[in-house]
Amino acid sequence: MNKNEFLSTLSANLSILPPEERDELMNDYETHFAFGLQNGKTETEIVQELGDPQELAREAIGERRFPQGPVYWFASNPNQEQPQQPAPAVPAASPRSIFATVMVCIGLFFVDIVAISFLATLCCFGLSFILVAASGILSPVLVLLDYMMHGAFFPAKGFASIAFLGVGILFAMLSSYVIKGLLVISRKFFDWNMSAIKGGNTK
Amino acid sequence: MDINVQFKKGALELCILVLIHERDRYGYELAQSVSEYIEVAEGALYPLLRRLVNEGHCTTYLQESTEGPPRKYYQLTSEGESHMKKLIMEWKHFVKNVSALIEKGSQS
Repeated sequence: MNKNEFLSTLSANLSILPPEERDELMNDYETHFAFGLQNGKTETEIVQELGDPQELAREAIGERRFPQGPVYWFASNPNQEQPQQPAPAVPAASPRSIFATVMVCIGLFFVDIVAISFLATLCCFGLSFILVAASGILSPVLVLLDYMMHGAFFPAKGFASIAFLGVGILFAMLSSYVIKGLLVISRKFFDWNMSAIKGGNTK
Repeated sequence: MDINVQFKKGALELCILVLIHERDRYGYELAQSVSEYIEVAEGALYPLLRRLVNEGHCTTYLQESTEGPPRKYYQLTSEGESHMKKLIMEWKHFVKNVSALIEKGSQS
């Protein structure tokens, strides 16, 4: 790794810091390089001495978040007040109150009125695929029935039924995809509802 | 190796404070001085120095030099000095106790 790689990796990993703070740190490292080069070291040597830029960035961010308080094992004197700092508040998935859950359910009800009707429309669309497939595939049988009932065979009907048979097979294949897709969508929608009610994490 | 890194990190603050107490120093100089004694990722110095400044243990001033870029010197404040003394006491106490424990443990 050379100087530029080091600095750009570091800069990228420090992007959550406020710009002026990051610039100041970056400036420190750039100056470090300047002094090192001046003392006859190569960029690679300096990078090696500095350490892993990702690790350094993590440290820099960590130092900033928990400013006071030395490392835990420094405060070993029991007479002294332990400079204890509360553990960083991890946003734990705290259980929601019943009231909040009820409100979420009410909100979901209105969302679902729209969403379920939309889903139902999609399902009807899927159903129509199946019906087209079924009627297409059955069309030769229908022609046969027509012949048996009326005793007259029109070749045009025969050819048309063959064409419909093809269309039916095509739709049968398509409808299997459509049904799979619909199942996936419904499952996801259901899961989303459940996680919203339970107060699952929203990423 | 990992635990060793943790040791060094803990000691680094103390070392830096002592070095700055000795005389005002700039970042690169600190890195060199620390490396003489303990092998440490020198890059960890700068975040640490920033924190020391933010907490009021050090102040900085820039000084032009005849060669190279201007040097950012770190100077210990009186607050930093008392912090250093406290750390040194705690450190000695800690080392003494751990050594005693090891001594006792390895005898039996």
